[in-house]
Amino acid sequence: MKNTILRGLAQAYENLVHMIADFLPRFVTMLTIILAGLLIAFLLRKILRSILHLTKLDRISEQAGASHVLRKAAMPSMSEFLSRSLFWITLLGFVLLGISVLRIPELQEQIAHLFQLLPQIVVAILILFVGILAANFLSRAALLTAVNAGYRSPRLWSGLVSFIIWILTISMALEQIGLARQTVVAAFSIVFGAVMLALAIAFGLGGRDLARQTLDRYVGNRDREKEEEPSPL
Amino acid sequence: MAEESFLTDDLLRQLISVGEVDLLVGIPSLNNVATIANAVAAAEDSFQHAFPRERAVIVNVDSGSNDGTPDAFLNASSHQNSRGRGLTSLRTGHRVVARCDTPSPAAVFRTIVATAELVRAKACAVVSPASPGLSAGWVENLLQPVCRQDFDFVAPLYARQRFDGLLVRQLLYPMSRAIFGRRIRELLATEFGFSGRLASNCANRDAWHEASIQDSPQTWMAATAISSDFRCCQSFLGPKVRPAAGPPTDLVTAIRQAVGALFWCAESQQRFWMQRTGSEPLSTFGPDHELTDEPANVNLERIFELFRCGVAELSPILKTLLNPDTNTEIQHLATLDERSLCFDNTLWARTLYDFAGSYHHALLNRDHLVQALVPLYRGRIYSFFLRHASSSPAEMEADSENLCLELERQKPYLIERWKKPSEVVI
Repeated sequence: MKNTILRGLAQAYENLVHMIADFLPRFVTMLTIILAGLLIAFLLRKILRSILHLTKLDRISEQAGASHVLRKAAMPSMSEFLSRSLFWITLLGFVLLGISVLRIPELQEQIAHLFQLLPQIVVAILILFVGILAANFLSRAALLTAVNAGYRSPRLWSGLVSFIIWILTISMALEQIGLARQTVVAAFSIVFGAVMLALAIAFGLGGRDLARQTLDRYVGNRDREKEEEPSPL
Repeated sequence: MAEESFLTDDLLRQLISVGEVDLLVGIPSLNNVATIANAVAAAEDSFQHAFPRERAVIVNVDSGSNDGTPDAFLNASSHQNSRGRGLTSLRTGHRVVARCDTPSPAAVFRTIVATAELVRAKACAVVSPASPGLSAGWVENLLQPVCRQDFDFVAPLYARQRFDGLLVRQLLYPMSRAIFGRRIRELLATEFGFSGRLASNCANRDAWHEASIQDSPQTWMAATAISSDFRCCQSFLGPKVRPAAGPPTDLVTAIRQAVGALFWCAESQQRFWMQRTGSEPLSTFGPDHELTDEPANVNLERIFELFRCGVAELSPILKTLLNPDTNTEIQHLATLDERSLCFDNTLWARTLYDFAGSYHHALLNRDHLVQALVPLYRGRIYSFFLRHASSSPAEMEADSENLCLELERQKPYLIERWKKPSEVVI
């Protein structure tokens, strides 16, 4: 019995040594990959930051109003935001690559799935970025147009434009990642449809006078309009 | 022949048959069938009366009329004007039609300038067939200073109703005068004259493609003439009457075109004006800028309301563009009673310079930036109306001169804003 116990212990020890001997090089490989990834991510961040500074992206983002949104969300400037995003995406990629070297079967499948998701995450971030730019630019254009034309509640029009573009952008980004795809599409359809229906009902029931005034303003008596402001030129 | 690739083969064929000329009159058109004959008659009468020995061509650059304007131009009858008293031109007059695929004024003016360079015209004039007061005298007054006195750019002067053309009198003229140092009153005129030398200088520049001047290339031509030390002058044409037909001039569109072009010219020619102070008067032919005493029919209440709402709604944008002191003053103005609003010369000058500086530093999309000026301009003209409700034209003119001097006095402020960007405070 003593021999059996000793043999069992020896076997367990042998297995442990074998396991450690088998695992340790993979662990070291993983650490090496992560360290290399860290270095590459640093370099890529630095390079991207320099390129973005050269292209004056921050100025463009400032003009388009995207920086305003980032500041409101206590986030850094646009070039810094993109550089940091690249850093973390690269590092995440290398960490996943390193973990996959460990050959833990349960993790392998998840990592493969995450790797498939990585390009989609990048595309989703780009969609959000373009969405922020578009929402700010178009909502500001709507605000200026409404203010200068003398429409009532210009911020409402501006906010509506911004809201619709944000909803569209977030839906597209989530759909890109494949997160609750059907729910997102259904939610978007419901929200967008509801807004449009509400507007149609509001305009139809409560805005008949406004509709008449608007039509009168554009296709009605232009001479009246002519008299409202002196000729600028 | 630098513009061979730009001008169409059809136009080149017509110009080859014309050969070299001394005078060129350009008539841009778009659905002007009712008035184009008057423009042709004005040009031909002026040739017969004032330039009987010169070779001349009239060029109609059409932007795609669908009412037969080019045919009306070619078929307009030549007639003897009573002014000519039997005089006939010793040379054959030519008419040329150019069809412009791109309907932007820049493309149209570029065609006229390139044509002038190609036919080696010594003196050129551009006239609008839509101008109700257009006559042979106008064409003559635009061509004479170039032809006889060797000037290179002739800006028009008009007699105006005393509350008309306020964008020109309260913004374009005072600001361009202070920046460029030359007293050209009409930077955005539909009529002007220029020499063959200036045409050659402008013809091959890249600026024709610049988005900011697509709708008002004449502003850029005037700024180029000033900054390249061409000889500039002004010539009185007559009363500026608004066309009876067509939609009224939209204020927002006018500001986007005129102010956008002025700011862009200031930026592209900053080396010229940064060191200059004061302004020089130009040689002027005829009276200098008459104001007439006709009554104005204006909805002042609406202008005030648009100013007040505009300032309130755009306050985050104005905070970005304006100096904090200027912004505080404007926000305060918007809270005042409509009878006590006074947008004075000092504040208006600082506002314009803040916008110019912000435009230079591109603190906002430039088209949006220029649009944000519209409510403030409304506040300024509202204040102008209040102050001059019963003023005589001479008093109004004196006030406009004070504004010009204020802008000249504050030019160092513009230079300071130009060199040092404001911090974005949103």
